Amino acid sequence: MGKISSISATDWQTVLLNLARSYSFYAPVSFNGSMDYELIDEDNAGEIVYNHPKPSTPLKTFFLPVKENVTADLKEQKPALIMGAPSCDLAALDILDEMYLNRDYTDIYYKNRRKNSILIGYDCQSMLENCHCTSYGINPFPEKNFDLLLIKLDDNLLLQSGSAKGTAMLKELENHARITEAEENDIKRIEEKRADLREVLTQKNNKLPGYDSSGRLIKASDDNIWKSYASTCVSCGACATICPTCTCFLLIDRPDFEKIRQLDACQYPGFERVAGDEDPLEELPVRFKNRYQCKYVWKPLKFKSIACTGCGRCIETCIGKINKNELLRELASENKV
Amino acid sequence: MKDDNIYKPLRAKLVEVIEESPTIKSFVLEPEREFSFATGQFVELTLNGIGEAPFTPSSSPLVKDKMEITIMKAGYVTEKIHKLNPGEIMGIRGPYGRGYPLEEFYGKEIMVLGGGCGFAPLRSLLYNLEAEKDRVKKVTFCYGSKNPAECIYKPYIDNLRKMDKFEVYRTVDEADESWAEEVGVATVLLDKVEVNIDDSVAVVCGPPIMMKFGVMKLLEMGYTDKQIYLSMEKNMSCGLGKCGHCMMGEYFVCMDGPVFRYDEIKDQPNIWK
Repeated sequence: MGKISSISATDWQTVLLNLARSYSFYAPVSFNGSMDYELIDEDNAGEIVYNHPKPSTPLKTFFLPVKENVTADLKEQKPALIMGAPSCDLAALDILDEMYLNRDYTDIYYKNRRKNSILIGYDCQSMLENCHCTSYGINPFPEKNFDLLLIKLDDNLLLQSGSAKGTAMLKELENHARITEAEENDIKRIEEKRADLREVLTQKNNKLPGYDSSGRLIKASDDNIWKSYASTCVSCGACATICPTCTCFLLIDRPDFEKIRQLDACQYPGFERVAGDEDPLEELPVRFKNRYQCKYVWKPLKFKSIACTGCGRCIETCIGKINKNELLRELASENKV
Repeated sequence: MKDDNIYKPLRAKLVEVIEESPTIKSFVLEPEREFSFATGQFVELTLNGIGEAPFTPSSSPLVKDKMEITIMKAGYVTEKIHKLNPGEIMGIRGPYGRGYPLEEFYGKEIMVLGGGCGFAPLRSLLYNLEAEKDRVKKVTFCYGSKNPAECIYKPYIDNLRKMDKFEVYRTVDEADESWAEEVGVATVLLDKVEVNIDDSVAVVCGPPIMMKFGVMKLLEMGYTDKQIYLSMEKNMSCGLGKCGHCMMGEYFVCMDGPVFRYDEIKDQPNIWK
């Protein structure tokens, strides 16, 4: 696992308060049966949830806010510290970075927010009903895109650096707490937990086709399955809104040549409509299928990174009770790929 | 360049409005600094505070201080643009995407098929071909429109007819007594022209239905998929390969197009919508 540091739960509380003073500090807090990022201060620092999957809001929202003026001057902001990002959401940053940083046109607002943030990833120590990261080659513990990794084990918090920013942060923490090298036994326990959870996820999703086969199945599918699953779709766009890799947007014009970048979704009617009213996605089943094709067929031809990281949020959020994985399993069982 | 703000438009002054037809006007813009584009590339034109839409300039890419954009009244933004008077300050972003691959046209006969406001990008191409006419064998321009009043660029057509190596054929769906040319949809013109197909490329731009039947007709005549070039109209909203509105199967039309060779797109879904 590499170098792991350990800090006692008591010391950690002091650390948290210091962090809350220096950063815009977000961490997962439970409320009414769901868990989401909250701005942390001394009042709620004790309520932070550790190593539980997964905040309701995908990580993308910190870097691509629902609405942002993209013609305004960049402002100096207090650096953001985002704690509790699960592996699926961290992996999803790959395609966002490809799209907003590494293509011919860099989005300076995204770049600025990425630069100005420190990410603390969490190991997941349990799974939710629709988690399926392992089906797409992602482990339920972060392996990329984090600055620090945090795992709570009884009365200790274990920390691992994943970047220069993370190493600097560990150094900074030493000013407020006693940080020791993690016990070998603790590391062994983490490794066991990781292996166990990976096994549970793999078993639970054993009938789910992998990422590439899903693409092939979708490509070969006929219209019937899309008509059938789209029959309860109400085009609310929640699946795309809550997806850690869906970032389609609308540019809205304001006076003084201001432009607002606002999160949009291909599931909304009129998304691809052009002047003269032609609309390739006019029919609901076609529009519904579009999102699957985009993720599993088209994005893989355009980007190196995958466009679904198996978080399962689209299934949990759907008011039409459409289960993406059920659809993919059905395609797989029909086609035996 | 990398840290420029990709969303901020360049200011451009509207210096002239030309009425081309009852539904189509051309807008001559003077950008605040020199603006270069390759023929077939598009720009995002901002009407301050109202909206932004993609257009392919209709003027010559060789002219850098002025740019002409021809716009049909077809929606919310274009209706407001049609009400503008010279003096208005507009915004331009771009140029974006892949234009016409002129190097693939050199040494050949070029069949240009246009319909309605689809003449706009084609006029830019024709201007460019005029300047490069020593490098092409022949240019045959076939243009169809609804009726004589909707035929745009009349003075330009008159000049083009006089040009060595250029042939012009026109048709209208509904003729009146003033009309002495063909009657029928744009594709009927393809029966009139003489072309050595093996040594030719075809370029098509117009409303989706016309492009669809134009391509079918060209294939029937013996053109191959690889000899046909199309300028696709999709909802290019950001122009930057990000916003997703112009996705056509695996392509971002804004970056991979708007000009495609037919073989590149024929298997993508809903290309004629």
